Amino acid sequence: MLTWVPIGVTIGFAALVVAIMVTINRLVAPRHRSPVKDLPFECGNPPSGSAWGRFSVHFYLVAILFLVFDVEVILLIPWAAEIRRLAGFGLGEALIFIAVLVVGLVYAWQRGALDWD
Amino acid sequence: MTAFNLAAIDIAWLPICPLIIVGVSAMAVLLAGVRVRDDESQGLGVLTLALIALAFVFALGLLGQSGIAFAGAIAADNFAVFFELVILISAALVVLMSIDYLPAFGLSAAEYYALLLFSTFGMMLMATGGDLIVIFIGFEVMSISVYVLAGFLRRSLKSNEAALKYFVMGAFSTAFLLYGIALVYGATGTIKLGPIRAALSNPMAGNPLLLSGIGLMLVGFGFKVAAVPFHMWTPDAYEGAPTPVTAFMAVGVKLGAFAGFIRIFMVHLGPVSPDWSIVLWVIAAFTMTVGNLVALVQVNIKRMLAYSAIAHAGYILVGMTAAGSQAGGAILYYLLGYAFTNLGAFAAVIALERRGVESDLITNYRGLAVRHPGLAAAMALFLLSLTGVPPLAGFLGKFYIFSAALNAGLVWLVVIAVINSVISAYYYIAVIVAMYMREGEAVVGALGRRPAVITALAVAAIGTVLIGIYPEPYITGALHAFNSAFGAALPRTASILP
Amino acid sequence: METYWLTGLTFLPLLGALLVLTQSDESSTWRAAAAFSLIPLAISIYLLIRFDPHEPGYQFVEQYAWIPQFGISYHLGLDGISLFLVVLTTLLMSLSIIYSGGGDIGYRPREFCFFMLVLETGLLGALLAVDLFMFYVFWEVMLIPMYFLIGIWGHGNKIYAAFKFILFTMLGSILMLVAILYLVHLAHLQSGAISFDLPNLYSVRLTPGEAEWLFAGFAIAFAVKVPMWPIHTWLPDAHTEAPTAGSVILAGVMLKMGTYGFVRFAIPLFPEIAMQATPLFMALAVIGIIYGALVAMVQPDLKRLVAYSSVSHLGFVMLGIFALNPQGVEGAIYQMLNHGLSTGALFLLVGMIYLRRHTREISEFGGLWHRIPIFAAIFMFVMLSSIGLPGLNGFIGEFLIMLGAYLKIPLAVVFAVLGIILGALYMLYAYERVMFGPITKAVNETLADLTWREIGVMVPLIALMLFMGFYPRPLLARMEPSVAAMLDRVQTAQVRLEKPRPAAVAALDPARRTAER
Repeated sequence: MLTWVPIGVTIGFAALVVAIMVTINRLVAPRHRSPVKDLPFECGNPPSGSAWGRFSVHFYLVAILFLVFDVEVILLIPWAAEIRRLAGFGLGEALIFIAVLVVGLVYAWQRGALDWD
Repeated sequence: MTAFNLAAIDIAWLPICPLIIVGVSAMAVLLAGVRVRDDESQGLGVLTLALIALAFVFALGLLGQSGIAFAGAIAADNFAVFFELVILISAALVVLMSIDYLPAFGLSAAEYYALLLFSTFGMMLMATGGDLIVIFIGFEVMSISVYVLAGFLRRSLKSNEAALKYFVMGAFSTAFLLYGIALVYGATGTIKLGPIRAALSNPMAGNPLLLSGIGLMLVGFGFKVAAVPFHMWTPDAYEGAPTPVTAFMAVGVKLGAFAGFIRIFMVHLGPVSPDWSIVLWVIAAFTMTVGNLVALVQVNIKRMLAYSAIAHAGYILVGMTAAGSQAGGAILYYLLGYAFTNLGAFAAVIALERRGVESDLITNYRGLAVRHPGLAAAMALFLLSLTGVPPLAGFLGKFYIFSAALNAGLVWLVVIAVINSVISAYYYIAVIVAMYMREGEAVVGALGRRPAVITALAVAAIGTVLIGIYPEPYITGALHAFNSAFGAALPRTASILP
Repeated sequence: METYWLTGLTFLPLLGALLVLTQSDESSTWRAAAAFSLIPLAISIYLLIRFDPHEPGYQFVEQYAWIPQFGISYHLGLDGISLFLVVLTTLLMSLSIIYSGGGDIGYRPREFCFFMLVLETGLLGALLAVDLFMFYVFWEVMLIPMYFLIGIWGHGNKIYAAFKFILFTMLGSILMLVAILYLVHLAHLQSGAISFDLPNLYSVRLTPGEAEWLFAGFAIAFAVKVPMWPIHTWLPDAHTEAPTAGSVILAGVMLKMGTYGFVRFAIPLFPEIAMQATPLFMALAVIGIIYGALVAMVQPDLKRLVAYSSVSHLGFVMLGIFALNPQGVEGAIYQMLNHGLSTGALFLLVGMIYLRRHTREISEFGGLWHRIPIFAAIFMFVMLSSIGLPGLNGFIGEFLIMLGAYLKIPLAVVFAVLGIILGALYMLYAYERVMFGPITKAVNETLADLTWREIGVMVPLIALMLFMGFYPRPLLARMEPSVAAMLDRVQTAQVRLEKPRPAAVAALDPARRTAER
């Protein structure tokens, strides 16, 4: 039974952290409500138009494409840092990785994800 | 810190050849299909089929291999090859069902076939994975592709619901699995399956980290194979997804998940099996019973087949509970028969589907035998095989699993299982009643007359009969696949058959 | 010497079934089906002639490996117990198909012939199989076509009847499957070799507890099929709603599968338990006899009456089997044949009258003797055979059974005689209401008598009833060696039982324990 103590401690600690954070927030945060504070924040200007305004779907597409390359960078930077030791093997791996991403890009391009109109 | 040592990684391209072919095929199909119009996508389907056949040939060539590659990340054994072959057959049959389905329902083919291949890749990776991380990656690749496929009927609310439910529940289960892997890693200090088993041979019983990890992994796999009580997503996901995808979920996903499940639990967690086999016993009993009982009241055939798939997962879990190499062979054989039978049943469902018509109700099958005797006979054959009527594949699979379980001393579990078999007869036969004994106007859509769907039906029917009547080579194959991969690892008991 | 007679006998109907599906018009369908049911009949008669009456074991044996991993072999054989049942099956099947071609089956004749011929393969396979796995396969195979026959071509509440039929029998048989598997598992533990072959399983040593459970597994499956009281409730529904040909096969052959199963499997495999269970089974049999007769008496429906009479007659068969002596068992097998002939004939006759009037209510008839004398005469003859009039076949069987039962438990015979009297009563009473008196319903005035085809179907049955009534010797002689061999096993078990129990258990246990290790 004693061996289960660490598990219990872990769970307890996790719960404790959450509880502390919520409590501190409640205790410390200043609360002065006013109509202005309830408004959505728009750079200090009074909001104009509806909050339900639509954005073009292209924004999302571009965002997703951006994400792909974001991830690419995350992988390629450590690779670059160790490029000497990884040598030809690493190069091959990186090229395959990029090739896969290129397939995705070509596909998105061909399907018109990059055309704004 | 140890230096990175390339020589330690035994890069063996051969064992992962089929995987590479399928992965590259997925991308190739994606690119090839960019400019293909939705209503002319049959060619793309044929291309996909050819690529799957290519991978199949390469996988066949791998039969007889043994050992590990990539420093244990890839298990190059017959068990993996067996599953790869069955998964590829299933994928090919699903493609056959999809070739005419996609244009008929206005679905874009390039993404569809690419995702199908990607999920096939994931399944095969699960079968081939030699460490927990690789299996997990396979799990994720498979799952994410199937989430998208489930929602492929974009304008259908049910399809959206299917995808969303499947995604949310699936993501949840993934988290369980991953956390379980982390805890097992914590307990044993390795993610490679071989070393994990070696570590378990030391007295580790009762290690809470290990037990929690095993429990969490059990939950993760339980979700994917749709075992009770982790089955809630199944009926909605099966009902809403496009029918070829449902077929793939019922067969392919199950094959992949069981491949990983068996490799991890039956084999490499074997040394601590007393810790989890009793849990599996209970899960198996509930899975069979709940699946069959709820299936009794279904009026939609896809939902009925969903619950039937749950029940069949239960039968397979009986085999897993039995452990031992005989049970392993039994499960492999069962899955082979199950793949043909269930895909055949779904192919028959597709034959009756028409766009914009609610055609999945069992009442729509009334009078089918009079109007389309061939299709009705095929469907009856599949349903009887699912029931477990000799001499069809489904019967021999159950026979094999039950005898393995009896040999392992699980008499009561087997009794529960056979009673469930009888219960299942009720709802399978209800469909036969509708087809043969009720008057009605069953309408076969244009899909039912397309050569691809008919080919799928014929292949599945031949498989169902052949595997049942002349089972010897398949039993030998299944047993050999399991034994040559794990025979040495499993304790041999007196009760093991050949 | 290699022979393929039994394979041919078993699978020619299946081949015929597939060929029938290719026929385009109705009359050629019937002709093809009749031809393919007559070929097995010819083969079975040939085997009957070639059969060696002095050989107790299997004849015309064929054995090949089928699934060697499980010790399952393709093993067919014919012995004195199954010989006549095989002939009965092929005969009734031919007659039913020929009869059905005469207008009894109004729709989907191709499928009907297909299912009938598949059914024949299932029945013959189950009778000829020596391997338990094969037996189970055929045992299940015969359910499916019968289910379709009832469900598609039946009358009234046919779907309910078909469902009830298949669920009852499936539940029974699947428990038998577990018992078979467990038995083979034990045999494998003890001998090291795995085999589903029946002779290899005789030598399995069982603890009393195991034997009880395994016997129960087999016995329930067979008792459902017989059917024994109180699990007979599927039978009246299935019989009543089935088409005529279905009823004939169901009563004539399929019910015998249950009793045959007892003789072939349940008793020889577990003789000790069978001995101990004798009082129970005899009691159930007697209850079945009386109950069936009493319920038959109050049936307003002619076909239901015949159905309940089956419950009663099969009670006799069970009584004979559990007498566990040569007279009883031979009588039981004889009675199986009698019941097949006479009840089959009765169902055919009821079918013929139903075809003319579309009703089977006894009250709808009356005075038919005047209008359709040939029908009435044949009906009379068959009925007398059914109630066991001396000189006809029923008498021989019932007499032997009661002789056997008397040697075992005299009291049972008292009740059985009561059953016979009741049997005569309900049959004659029904006959009187249907055939005698004035014609009360106008429609009955214009009834047509039997056609040549119908008479032709009845003639062989009547001839056999006469033959078996007068000259049972050749039949009994061919059963005797096999029955004796079967009872031999029971005798040795009795000797074993009479030895003091502890010694026997002690002899069993260490052996089992070492084997399990």
